Amino acid sequence: MRKGGNYCDLFFENSSIWTISLKDSKVSSGGFHRDYGCGIRVLCGERTGYAYSESTDYESLCKAADAAGAIALCSSLKDKPIQIEADCPRNKGFYPMQQDLRLAQSSRFVELLQKLDSSLRRRESRIVKLMATASYSLSEIYMYNSLGQSAEDLRPLCSLNLSAIIEQNGQRQVRTASKSLRQGLEFFDDALILELSDTICRNIDRGFEAGRPAGGQMNVVMAAGASGILLHEAMGHAFEADFNRKGQSIFCDKMGQQICRKGINIVDDATIPFLRGSCNWDDELTPGQKTYMVQDGVLTSYLHDRISASCYGLASTGNGRRECFRNFPIPRMRTTYMESAEKGSLEDLIHLAGNGIYVDEFSNGEVQIETGDFTFYVRGGYLIENGRLTRPIKDLNIIGNGPKALAGIEAVASDLVIDTGRWTCGKGQSVPVSCGTPSLLINNLTVGGQ
Amino acid sequence: MIDNEEIRLAKLCVEFAKEQGAQDCRLNLFKSESNLINTLNGAVDNVSHSLDRSMSLQLFVDGRFASFSTNRLEEQDLKDFIVKAISLTRVMEPDSARQLPEPERCCKCATNGREMGLYDDTFPLMDMDRRLEIALKNCLKAENTKDYSIVSEEAQYSDSEFDNISLDSRGLWCRHLETSFEYASNVTVQGPEGQKTSNYEWIARPMLKDLHTEDIAGKALEKAVAQLGAKAASSGRYNMVVHRDVASKLLTPLLNALGGYALQQNNSFLTDSLGKQLFSPALSVYEVCHRKGESGSRLFDSEGVATKEGPIIENGVIKQYFINTYIANKTGLEPSVEDAVRPLLKAWPEEGLDCRAIIGRCGSGILVTGFNGGNCNSATGDFSYGVEGFLFENGEIKAPVSEMLITGNMKELFCKLLYAGSDTRSDQSKLVPSLAFEGVDFSGL
Repeated sequence: MRKGGNYCDLFFENSSIWTISLKDSKVSSGGFHRDYGCGIRVLCGERTGYAYSESTDYESLCKAADAAGAIALCSSLKDKPIQIEADCPRNKGFYPMQQDLRLAQSSRFVELLQKLDSSLRRRESRIVKLMATASYSLSEIYMYNSLGQSAEDLRPLCSLNLSAIIEQNGQRQVRTASKSLRQGLEFFDDALILELSDTICRNIDRGFEAGRPAGGQMNVVMAAGASGILLHEAMGHAFEADFNRKGQSIFCDKMGQQICRKGINIVDDATIPFLRGSCNWDDELTPGQKTYMVQDGVLTSYLHDRISASCYGLASTGNGRRECFRNFPIPRMRTTYMESAEKGSLEDLIHLAGNGIYVDEFSNGEVQIETGDFTFYVRGGYLIENGRLTRPIKDLNIIGNGPKALAGIEAVASDLVIDTGRWTCGKGQSVPVSCGTPSLLINNLTVGGQ
Repeated sequence: MIDNEEIRLAKLCVEFAKEQGAQDCRLNLFKSESNLINTLNGAVDNVSHSLDRSMSLQLFVDGRFASFSTNRLEEQDLKDFIVKAISLTRVMEPDSARQLPEPERCCKCATNGREMGLYDDTFPLMDMDRRLEIALKNCLKAENTKDYSIVSEEAQYSDSEFDNISLDSRGLWCRHLETSFEYASNVTVQGPEGQKTSNYEWIARPMLKDLHTEDIAGKALEKAVAQLGAKAASSGRYNMVVHRDVASKLLTPLLNALGGYALQQNNSFLTDSLGKQLFSPALSVYEVCHRKGESGSRLFDSEGVATKEGPIIENGVIKQYFINTYIANKTGLEPSVEDAVRPLLKAWPEEGLDCRAIIGRCGSGILVTGFNGGNCNSATGDFSYGVEGFLFENGEIKAPVSEMLITGNMKELFCKLLYAGSDTRSDQSKLVPSLAFEGVDFSGL
């Protein structure tokens, strides 16, 4: 800060990532990866200087600090120091490990994957190839800032990913399943094997029967759970305050306005235990918290890091996250979901839709912040004809516009599910997130078809 | 750049791994420096400076295999790391297919890393003042008009130096050294009715002297303004022209399907396709990875195997799979390289066409200038992508379109390839020109 910066923080990280993989019924590859270093950020008004060092000796840290402090040389008299909340209460901890990952024995994972392979192949003879990867990571974090605040965090993350190739009468389909939670070794148990095996085996017959609908605009019923990708892409990114601070988001002039039906609440939450999106602290020392972005249909809050919060004269919502010590924090989602309605079921929504599609298996999504146009990819579902599920469908993209899609939410069921799949958000940096919804009926989304 | 002490440590690690019981070992040493300046509306928003070095290690122990990496490169730390790594490798099940490549397949001509002519000796002379000058001098200088107002311009200047040494216990020594200088501008504009659009332009070059940033922001602005007022067109079957800026999106699934891992796992829609005519004769893709001074050129793959130039797909016939040592041993297929390095999709039916000329030849259809999400099923080739661009009629652009989707199958799509231009960008990893396809399903209104 000697060069003129008015705030500085340090982010020390010591991470280990372990992976063990099964392929062709052999657990024959694996490894571990270590990453260690410290990121130093200097703020000068809203401007950021950032550098990091992979050595944490005093001399190396001073060099990094000097490089980060150079931002002050780019500042102007117009820069106002950002106002940062000094209060820093402690959280109780949203991801305590029952069995410490540091005590893991690799042989346990070999046995788990072998068991998974044999049980799945016994259960489903059409599986011709199966790949499975068990992985876990543990990040030891220490943060310190120029206000004198400091905190430690121990962040576990365990995952199991499956990918199966299934063949029948010369036809082939890929089925995938994943689960990921911030837990200790207790994550890897028999229930996990059963749960992911169920996901792989469910809907295999549907996959072989499925086709593509005629494309065009139609009503879409989205199943509870992984449909949360809609909220993440269509709304969540556009609510991230950096895009709004720069005037780029489609929602930047809609604060306080009714943007969807009354009764709808959309939340970004760091406090649900063990989820990928759970944070005891964000990565700039703001405690994890629950943030209502939309309450009763009204836009009530963006997702703030310290810079954007200061710009808006608000407290940070604890959304300042980063991939690792190599990156500076920016506003990112945590666990994004819509709260359940008081009543209503999936069947009610299908009946109400009349004609359209029902979708319940998803993969990737994307959004264009400025226009609000979003897409997400549907792996499976059904046509809805006359209020009933009929022919199975697969492999289609859905495109829509965020504000229009929000306004087009016709009905919400009372069956909220938070999905525990291995969701990762990429916004220049990758961070683990979670998402969820109750079942939804949305009018007039564009569906890809032939 | 990697120094002599780091090279000493790398060699020591290979020897130490063998002493500890590894039969073979491959090591990759990486070191890089990068600098980045982001500007917002003509003023510096953030600067960052990165120095990275890491070591990755693949161990072959008693017929078993595992891979490791670390960025702690102190000698004792590395020794402790290797002891632990060998212990984990021994937990794996044996797999006789895991072997180092035969030495005769490996690259022997990448000794100092400069062979491809991709290192700019002025990089170490760059300082903060020079970087700021480049970052700031060509920021957007434009006024609002009655048709649009400028919401923001974000520009980014970055430069980097990358050094990689590969060595193994059978005598492999390969080095690749390159620099990169990049400038990009992203402009957001708002139309009179409040609608916003955003677009970008960029340039990347291995040598600073070739980085011409003068018209980058202007082009980004032009592209953003052109997209104002975009809306979905009617669903239907259209000729599709894909602009060179984004056309590589369509080649990627084809190259992935030619990859050994996908083939071995029955997860490829191009299984058993070697030597077969699967696509239009208009489709020819060549590996052109030995071009001195052209970014992306490289003499060896991640195993240290020598890369080669030659056909991947020729007049619609599949000529090459990407087979590494492991997959070759598993499948009996002839080994080649791990992946396409610098593939070029060649012009068809003649040299010299650009996007505008191709639109003229197609007459009417939709020009795709941007993709928005979507996916391709790796096992079947079925795809569905979000797109934006322009409707064209009689060879002329008529109106911007957005919120549309294209849906089909990759094998069928490339059977309908009509034209391939000569307008590839040299700063993309896949050299794909503007392309035209006949009769593609678009979903919109």
